[in-house]
Amino acid sequence: MNSPAAGQVCPPRRYTHSRVALFRFSAVSWNAHRIHYDGEFAASEGFPDVVVQSTLHGEMLVRCALDWSGPGARLEGVSWRNLATAVAGEPLTWTATVTAVEPAARGQRVSLEVSVLKDDGTACVTGTVDLTRPGGPA
Amino acid sequence: MTALEEVVARARTLIGRWETEDCGVLGVKEFCRYAAAVGDGAYAARARDREAAGEPVEAPPLFLASMMSWEDGPAEDALRPDGLAARESPCTQGLPVRQVHGGQSVRLAGVPVAGVRITASRAVTSVDRKGGRSGEFVLLGVTTRFTAESGKELMAVDETIVVLDGETAPGEAAA
Repeated sequence: MNSPAAGQVCPPRRYTHSRVALFRFSAVSWNAHRIHYDGEFAASEGFPDVVVQSTLHGEMLVRCALDWSGPGARLEGVSWRNLATAVAGEPLTWTATVTAVEPAARGQRVSLEVSVLKDDGTACVTGTVDLTRPGGPA
Repeated sequence: MTALEEVVARARTLIGRWETEDCGVLGVKEFCRYAAAVGDGAYAARARDREAAGEPVEAPPLFLASMMSWEDGPAEDALRPDGLAARESPCTQGLPVRQVHGGQSVRLAGVPVAGVRITASRAVTSVDRKGGRSGEFVLLGVTTRFTAESGKELMAVDETIVVLDGETAPGEAAA
């Protein structure tokens, strides 16, 4: 990838989380909250299916950003706000826009505004990702 | 006193009281299982290659921040009806309330690697009572700092937990 620039829109990335994926993430993160793996319980709370974990949204914000940036990229920080619930099987889209690119000790520091959107455009989460990447202006 | 008022009162007594927790010695298998669970299929191969070569194996970037708890875990009958342990639901034990995650901010200062013992320090840092479209709720701020055995801070995590009256469906919350 050439050097990113402020204002650049990253290619969106579509994905879904299956029920099995949500269960495995709950298990590996020691998260026993039943809305993430117990469909009946999730329904009793008003959700159409088991609910995507907030931290899994965070994980996707970060991993898609690092994948976009390319080899050698490292996470410096991430923050996000949960706005709407996503459930298993729901198509989701990661979107990002570069907001700043600055020189850094080991290349560049890149800041992104990121979000996870539903198909109707509703934002599930919005936030920022800061990363460093090797290299500099092309 | 309402349940939400009780949450606020409990939180105020806890603000700034840091509790430490031993996260144990991090292992490559934990990292690889985490990566597999989040769909990062390439991580395990890289990690196992580095392990075989005797090189440090770094954790996935959000591995520490994603863990709900480092306890061995309470028995099932000690969990709340929603499945959460008391530790994971601060200030709400025995109260007719629900909680959802409002958001998170993670700052990385170092890289956790396999073989290093990690300590987590955690405290309630703020409490705010709010009103929204669907009624009143409480925002709890919780900060967790992870340090390596060398004393170096690796990561700081600020979380917002939204505590709702038990009659309010989480999906209606103005998080």
